[in-house]
Amino acid sequence: MNQINPNGGAPPPAFELSDVTYRYREVTALNHLDLTVNAGRRAALLGANGSGKSTLLRILNGLCFPDEGTVRFCGKPLTEESIQNDGFGFDFRRRVGLVFQNPDVQLFSPTVFDEVAFGPLQLRWPPDQIRRKITETLEMLEITHLKDRSPHHLSTGEKKRVALASILILDPEILLLDEPTAALDPKSASHMIDFLVRAKDSGKTVITTTHDLDIVEDIADECFVFHEGRIAAGGTPAEILSDEALLRTTGLMHSHLHVHKSGQVHAHSHLHRHEH
Amino acid sequence: MGAKHSGKRGFLERTTSSFVDAMEHAFYAERTARVDGLLQRIDPRVKLVGILALVVPAAASHSFAVILGLFAIAVVLAALSHVSFGVLLKRVWIAVLLFTGVIALPAPFVTPGKVVYHLPWLGWSVTAQGLTSAGYLVLRVETAATLCVLLVLTTPWTHVLKALRVLRVPAVLVTILGMTYRYLFLVLQSAHDMFESRRSRMIGELTASERRRVAASSAGVLMSKTFDLSNDVYEAMLSRGYRGEVAILDEFRIGRLDWAMLSAFALVSIAAFWLGR
Amino acid sequence: MHIPDGYLSPATCAALYGTAAPFWYVALRKTRKLLFTRLVPLISVFAAFSFVIMMFNVPIPGGTTAHPLGVGIASIVLGPWASILALSTALFIQAFFFGDGGVTTLGANCFNMAIVGSLVAWLVYRAVAGRSAITSSRRVVAAALGGYLAINCAALCAAVELGLQPHFFKSATGAPLYAPYPLGITVPAIMIGHLTFAGLAELVVTGGIVAYLQRANPALLRFTAPGAPMPHDEGQPAATSGWRATKPLWTAVGLLMILAPLGLLAAGKAWGEWTVHDFSNAAARQKIAQVSRNVAPPAAAPSGLERLATVWTAPFPDYSPSFVHSAALGYILSAMFGIGAIILLSILGDWIAHKVRPGPSRASARTEET
Repeated sequence: MNQINPNGGAPPPAFELSDVTYRYREVTALNHLDLTVNAGRRAALLGANGSGKSTLLRILNGLCFPDEGTVRFCGKPLTEESIQNDGFGFDFRRRVGLVFQNPDVQLFSPTVFDEVAFGPLQLRWPPDQIRRKITETLEMLEITHLKDRSPHHLSTGEKKRVALASILILDPEILLLDEPTAALDPKSASHMIDFLVRAKDSGKTVITTTHDLDIVEDIADECFVFHEGRIAAGGTPAEILSDEALLRTTGLMHSHLHVHKSGQVHAHSHLHRHEH
Repeated sequence: MGAKHSGKRGFLERTTSSFVDAMEHAFYAERTARVDGLLQRIDPRVKLVGILALVVPAAASHSFAVILGLFAIAVVLAALSHVSFGVLLKRVWIAVLLFTGVIALPAPFVTPGKVVYHLPWLGWSVTAQGLTSAGYLVLRVETAATLCVLLVLTTPWTHVLKALRVLRVPAVLVTILGMTYRYLFLVLQSAHDMFESRRSRMIGELTASERRRVAASSAGVLMSKTFDLSNDVYEAMLSRGYRGEVAILDEFRIGRLDWAMLSAFALVSIAAFWLGR
Repeated sequence: MHIPDGYLSPATCAALYGTAAPFWYVALRKTRKLLFTRLVPLISVFAAFSFVIMMFNVPIPGGTTAHPLGVGIASIVLGPWASILALSTALFIQAFFFGDGGVTTLGANCFNMAIVGSLVAWLVYRAVAGRSAITSSRRVVAAALGGYLAINCAALCAAVELGLQPHFFKSATGAPLYAPYPLGITVPAIMIGHLTFAGLAELVVTGGIVAYLQRANPALLRFTAPGAPMPHDEGQPAATSGWRATKPLWTAVGLLMILAPLGLLAAGKAWGEWTVHDFSNAAARQKIAQVSRNVAPPAAAPSGLERLATVWTAPFPDYSPSFVHSAALGYILSAMFGIGAIILLSILGDWIAHKVRPGPSRASARTEET
């Protein structure tokens, strides 16, 4: 229902969720949800805060599993049992990387060096190769100077870059990002957005959750609007952003009063720019 | 705006100041580890084994002279590693005197033995054995503490942990220690913020039982947060492929200086044991 | 209670490392089997929590503050084995990084606080709480008692380790080489502080956190309460209102602590408190037999008792009450009496304060959440 580009002989979709329901402590976070994201696409999951987007990402990352419905990863079923299988499990973890919303949770190693080394160590790469890749990845993200630092003393922007480095070192094909620009200062946020823009031609599948409508056009080729546990709508960023009614009912947009230089006061939608 | 404490610091204040102390200590240690001094240049494994090889005879030796000699060596190492004496004084030497010194104070009066002196007014007698005993205790603690502090101030803590592998400490314990250290400051910060926000909301004095309740519920909230944090970290680890195996990667390389220092540590240690047996 | 380097002889240190090692090994095996991949994040974060708890200044009855250990609550939430690991981790970092406690004495400190502490806390908690509901006030008291006894057992171990040093390790001239004070001094000196201040801090924190968790997050208490009814089960009452509901139980505990020493003193020598001489004195022998289910005591004092009897020397014999043979025991009994009195007095004080205060207390005191 929410496919933008029909498959037609192409590789299987990166993720295919059918009728997924997930309940947690009397709250139904996901309610008979259907979603298909094709390989190589950059998708944005839009939803108000607390709408369950993070839960959806955790399901995509195999950290929790639905009470009802099925999840398929590249055509294969993603279940609690299948991920226990060493072959499939390791493969999945290498190919899918999740950048958590709270970097303190993601940076659990004592130094940046250790953090970036963690993934490759789990995959049992040879030590020299790991050291080399660490140097490369840190350089790529311009954080070489942070190599021996403890995560506690880093700024939020630096933490997010380290988190990204720790995922990118494995060169995953699928990136999941949970509110990547939240709580970032403008400079760090723009770095992050640049990264997501450049991902367009990389062939990677990128799924980003966000409630920040201003960046959607830059970071995604297709949008899904998340509301009340299911996908309310899907389309290109332009289509979704122009549908004001939809944005308002799903809590992504609001009206507020503001004052112009001329002294006029009126209500505006949060999104659109205008001239007077 | 805070609670009136009638001149003495409230329990919240005292607790938060010890949090701040701990964070400052860690910060300071990280800085000194970066300075270019003798000990800083040595491989962490050599340092760990070497310094422990000096601590043990300091704690064990029967010879006063040996312990004093080890203390002198510690001081020389400190100087060569640009660790300031002012810092050693404040963080180690005076602290030890205030703690162990006070504990050892009664010993000259209480230990049975040959009397060498009588206190004029109180008439208490001081024994030679008591004096010797107090002297041993204080000197041992000072020496051991100085050596340990040197290790910590000249080596990034995470390297000390990785060096433990050379002592056959299981990798899983080294990993746990590293993660504990990493989250220590987060939990400290969290507790600090919680206490600060409580202090800013307190008006007037609380009764004793109310204060106990505040302490207990702060601890309870902290524990719940701790639990949630552990669950989140668990998921983050799973997400990166963790399946229960821990592996540790270090960047240690042994050079000529390291071998030289290792031999030096070994010689001193053996001599100390032999002379002080 | 953290013993620094130099207080214990190398033989003692080695012996205690050797004693701790099997416990560490078993703890690691058991927790690994139980927690699998959760082991590392759970133990690490809890060790960080224990570390921070040890820095809390807890206000105790009497108007002062003291530091808890957190071993009681760690044991009740995580179970004894995981608690051993978490506490040992925290102690390691305290010793090596912050210099609080020695590195040669780490085995001893871990044995006393992490191992003995965790096991005692858990055993007492399970014994006293039984199968009562997760949210019952009995569990709060069980937890508090567990914490109190745990820290005191740990302190007793430390006191014994320190007190034995001058007896066994002396220089040629008779000067103690390590800790200088004999058992007769270390035991009362250390125990009094822990039976009162530190013990009360641990009691408050352990009981208080359990009371808090009963309201806020009862699932955390489930691990060490197998078979106990949960709050959402049919017919279970909601969580009791914390301390107030436990008052009758505390009153009972307080009375017990006052009456027990008195009882011991009144009955003459407590069972087992016999001296070497009692074994050869006919009248005493008969008394011993009477209280020992009519089993006759051995003809001569057991050699171990004879040897150890010389170890326990009262420091100031002129001050010991005549009806208590060992002054150290006398100190401990008085401390127990004191604790019981403090508990009863603080309940009384609380009751009076509630009667005196006109209406609801200041708003800030009511907020439990942060």
